[in-house]
Amino acid sequence: MVSPKARVLLQILAAAVLSAGVVGADEHPGAAIYREHCLRCHGEQGKGTDEVPAPLVGDRSVDQLAGYVHDTMPEDDPTAVTGEAARLVSEWIHAGFYSALARERNRPARVDLARLTVRQHKNAIADLVAGFRGEQPPVTAERGLRGEYFQGRDFNGQRRVFERIDGTVNFDFGVEGPDPERFEPGRFAIRWHGSVVPTETGVHEFIVRTEHAVRLLVNHPDWDGPPLIDAWVKSGDDTEYRGTIHLLGGRAYPLRLEFSKASQGVDNPVHERPRHASIELLWRPPHGVVETVPERALIPARSPATFVVTSPFPPDDRSIGYERGSTVSKEWLSSVEAAAAETAAWVRSQAGRLAGVKPDAPDRGEQFRVFAAAFAERAFRRPLDPQVRALIVDRPFAETPDVDSALERSVLLTLSSPRFLFREPPASSPEILPWDTAARLAFAVWDSLPDAALRDAAAGGRLSTPDEVAKQVRRMLADRRARGKLREFLLAWLRVEQAPEIAKDPSRYPGISPEVVADLRTSLGFLLDECLAPAEGPADFRRLFQTEEVWLNGRLAPLFGVDLPAEAGFRPVRLDDGARAGVLTHPYMMSVLSYGAATSPIHRGVFLFRGVLGNVLKPPAEAVAPLAPDLHPGLSTRDRVTLQTSPVSCQVCHAAINPLGFALEGFDAVGRRRDTDGSAPVDVSGSYIPREGAAVSFRGARELAAFVASSRDAEEAFLQALFHAEVRQPARAWGGETLENLRQAFVTNGHDIRAAVVDIMKVAAFPPVPSEGEPATPATEERSDDHTP
Amino acid sequence: MITRRELLRGLGVGTAVAPFLGNLPSLAGGAATARQRLVIVFTPDGTVRDNFWPTAAGSFTAPSEDGSGPVALRPILEPLAPFKDRLLTLKGIGNKILGDGDGHMRGIGCLLTGVELFPGNIQGGSDTPAGWSSGPSIDQEIARFLQGRPETATRFGSLEFGVLVPDRADTWTRMVYTGPNKPVAPIDDPYQMFTKLYGRAKNRESLQSVLDELHEDLARVAAALPAEDRRILEDHAGLVRDFERDLARDEEIASHPVPMLEPGVLEQNDRMPAISRMQIELLVAALAADFTRVATLQYTNSVGQPHMKWLGVDEGQHDLSHEPNSNADAQEKLTKINTWYAGEVAHLAAKLAATPEPGGDGSMLDHTTILWTNELGEGNSHTREDIPWVMIGGGLGFRSGRAVEFPSVPHNRFLLSLAHGFGHTGLDRFGNPDFCGDGPLSLG
Repeated sequence: MVSPKARVLLQILAAAVLSAGVVGADEHPGAAIYREHCLRCHGEQGKGTDEVPAPLVGDRSVDQLAGYVHDTMPEDDPTAVTGEAARLVSEWIHAGFYSALARERNRPARVDLARLTVRQHKNAIADLVAGFRGEQPPVTAERGLRGEYFQGRDFNGQRRVFERIDGTVNFDFGVEGPDPERFEPGRFAIRWHGSVVPTETGVHEFIVRTEHAVRLLVNHPDWDGPPLIDAWVKSGDDTEYRGTIHLLGGRAYPLRLEFSKASQGVDNPVHERPRHASIELLWRPPHGVVETVPERALIPARSPATFVVTSPFPPDDRSIGYERGSTVSKEWLSSVEAAAAETAAWVRSQAGRLAGVKPDAPDRGEQFRVFAAAFAERAFRRPLDPQVRALIVDRPFAETPDVDSALERSVLLTLSSPRFLFREPPASSPEILPWDTAARLAFAVWDSLPDAALRDAAAGGRLSTPDEVAKQVRRMLADRRARGKLREFLLAWLRVEQAPEIAKDPSRYPGISPEVVADLRTSLGFLLDECLAPAEGPADFRRLFQTEEVWLNGRLAPLFGVDLPAEAGFRPVRLDDGARAGVLTHPYMMSVLSYGAATSPIHRGVFLFRGVLGNVLKPPAEAVAPLAPDLHPGLSTRDRVTLQTSPVSCQVCHAAINPLGFALEGFDAVGRRRDTDGSAPVDVSGSYIPREGAAVSFRGARELAAFVASSRDAEEAFLQALFHAEVRQPARAWGGETLENLRQAFVTNGHDIRAAVVDIMKVAAFPPVPSEGEPATPATEERSDDHTP
Repeated sequence: MITRRELLRGLGVGTAVAPFLGNLPSLAGGAATARQRLVIVFTPDGTVRDNFWPTAAGSFTAPSEDGSGPVALRPILEPLAPFKDRLLTLKGIGNKILGDGDGHMRGIGCLLTGVELFPGNIQGGSDTPAGWSSGPSIDQEIARFLQGRPETATRFGSLEFGVLVPDRADTWTRMVYTGPNKPVAPIDDPYQMFTKLYGRAKNRESLQSVLDELHEDLARVAAALPAEDRRILEDHAGLVRDFERDLARDEEIASHPVPMLEPGVLEQNDRMPAISRMQIELLVAALAADFTRVATLQYTNSVGQPHMKWLGVDEGQHDLSHEPNSNADAQEKLTKINTWYAGEVAHLAAKLAATPEPGGDGSMLDHTTILWTNELGEGNSHTREDIPWVMIGGGLGFRSGRAVEFPSVPHNRFLLSLAHGFGHTGLDRFGNPDFCGDGPLSLG
């Protein structure tokens, strides 16, 4: 039986791209047959000749094509290629240039019109609506919530005793209250407010534990509407209250928590008794565990409410390694329309606030129309030309007498329009170009729409040169959304963005609870954040591999032999006397890249060979289950892996994979340093053959990291992944030398990731002009359901 | 000139529902399992006893046995005169629940639950503080019973309407409970209720309304594209056409008439009459569409304080209700207020009476029991004896057209009668069992 972990490995291998590989590229026997019998008429790569000008392309299967060749080809002597020869040549033609798949692969890279990705779609709607409600608070080092402490049972400013910043809300006031000198023990109230800044996207569950009256508001416009948690009525024995809300990671949402230790209702303390009072604010973020909402996720600054679309979407195509909007589907359209309807209804309900119009304003209709035009203009990221305005704004208002419904229709139309959904359709005039540049920057750096500053720059024609672009991108990188996107990029680059499940053999690795696993992921997040936004200096790519520190809290510390108080928050700790090598030895990565009871040099090797160093792997010849350690109790993991992958058919890939993974054998299946594997000392020698240059060898993680950090292969792989994550179009479309130029700039700039984003955008902001000879003929109004010409 | 808004107002908020009802598929079962419905209407602060209670027990329509004429309706109940033959008033049924919470809190919190409030942190005007009810309310018990059987299950099971319920959740504002500590907030915004009832249909309608423009837009954008990029947009346009076909199909399936609401009515004291009529419109439409068979309609809250300026009453109702009975002016104003509530109940009854029972015999009122009640018997004394229970309609097997008097029985027994009227006869106690002694009251 194949273990789940092995199955994952096989899937990883099977997903590898096939265009090149470490496997020796012996020529397919069909190629020689083609040269001999077909080339003179069909030409190189079936491109055709004067004699037979039509390209050799079609939709026959290999077998169908073989049958056809067998019967009819070559035309002057149909008996020349038959049977096995016909099959071989058909196989080669089919895979090389004949089939739809082959044609797609051979297509020159270009910047395609693409729909918004799901993440871009949700972010764009959030920012589109939020843009009318004020800006997000700036990124600062301040953390925690503002706590206002009041005498009495409510939040009367006259009775406010003090205000302070509380890092978290987790207090036990005992029976005597926060301060017997200043508060009556039976009657005090506290209000915490600020913003919560989640890093994950998805459903967040908030939990409040208290014996007294409490109310929690998260992402409420002007604190209006029913609270997320309303336990102002204390009734019976309930002391824990829950509420869930959908949030997008990387932005701030207003949060207010109100607590009152007093009776409510009629203001009469006659029945109040000094009773125990405590309160804790917890949450469970997606992929996380129930924990006190951590200080790092709270800021005292206010933020405007953000509308978050909750309609579920089908996932984006990631078949070529990054999310892109290359196809449309029925499910996608139905999600688009559900999201549009949801948003239009919300905009309608909040129209007064968004448009700044009073309910009884006499010119309410006209103001809504102005708002609808601004809404469409921002959604389309271009000035509205009169025709578009007439269609999207004026017509709904002219045809719908009730202005609220007219606004709803206009918003619905805006969010259903290809002008919102696709990017970026060709500009109709040169004045549009800076607007398209602004849109490209915003979608690349934020996965969202341009903000006011970008719109200003576009309107002022200040986005025409690479330097003007660079200036904007530097500004944009300071925004939370840019950090959020880069952080998610790094998690995807490490292949852990989906938070793979980690289950460890409890007899061998006791104490690896879900909480510990969540903490390990948090710890990796700190490492990434620290690299992306260090206190000073560049966001040095090499630091990802070279930092000797691991972020630990009180719960993780004992696992790594570190002495920290149990309740200690996360802090960087230099572990194992400098033996650590950043993400390469991070306990979360080491745990993911291991089995439940043993390390997996193959997983680690594939991760390095393919993910970090950017090589291509073919899937294994056949599915193989890993050898169980018990079958060979005398063998080390290294020896067992070597034994199992010793056949020649395995060695074509594993000769490259294994020696990379072996270098990390000094770290066990939960990422603790080890000197022995079973009874034998671990052998951490490893090697790698770069795409250019001589083989290198290294011993252990530090030497491996030193090599990777200065490896051209790793730089190339990283730049390519970063380009695709930001731009979501093939880098080749900008020319074959683009990535190499970017790589050289990366090295010159001290491997600064943020500078790399600036350099990428200086290029990507100006896409190549489409090749000539493609006149834009009008599209037909009706499309036949029959796809044959 | 008459504006559209005025026209709508003139029509009583929405379009007539009745003409569409013929389209409704007839429901399985027919007359043998005729539909029964319950609508509980709550109005606050007690009544004016002398102007409310009939002076004696007996029939509203025929001379009684002792030869005295039919029992006359007192002024507050006068708006219900057209329904005399289907009217049932029950005097002598009290809310006997003791424990934590002041009279108004227990008045509303135990009114439909028949059980004590949990101890809690809500301090009332007197007594000890309390929390939520410790049990479900009878409407939810009946809804659960109906939802448990396929032939009586409906889309919502129950609907909770409100009219100007204050925007705060506490013991005074909640009447309906699905279980201990589980109050249900009534929806007092007609537009929100509309979205709940018809949101899907509404979305469909809005989407359909923009499709022509969308096709035009798609064609224009596509025209400017190079050939390679046009394919994805053509795929998109094809999907939009498929989507349009699906929408049209949905529309054929959905045959429920959708009421039209006057747009832009704000939740303000002075718009109470308009909101009341909008909610009644939605309520009747929801019952006609069989979205639910159990509903509540809660006017304001316990200790409700509407200022009924449209009646010439500037003071708040709760303040007036504390005036002694000797204050003739207050009594007159409270009578006006309660007569206005009776008028709204009568309007609901009239709408139901005017609508033929979908797929059945008679009118919807014949299959619906409206129960109008209050958290107190009288405002100034805060008594919960002689709670005003008024029923209009038919269907639960109660004999109507009469005023009935009981010798001070606990209301738990009456709540049981309601459940038994729906055939939920396995329920032998409800709320505090000590008050269920002799079982359901006999009202047949």
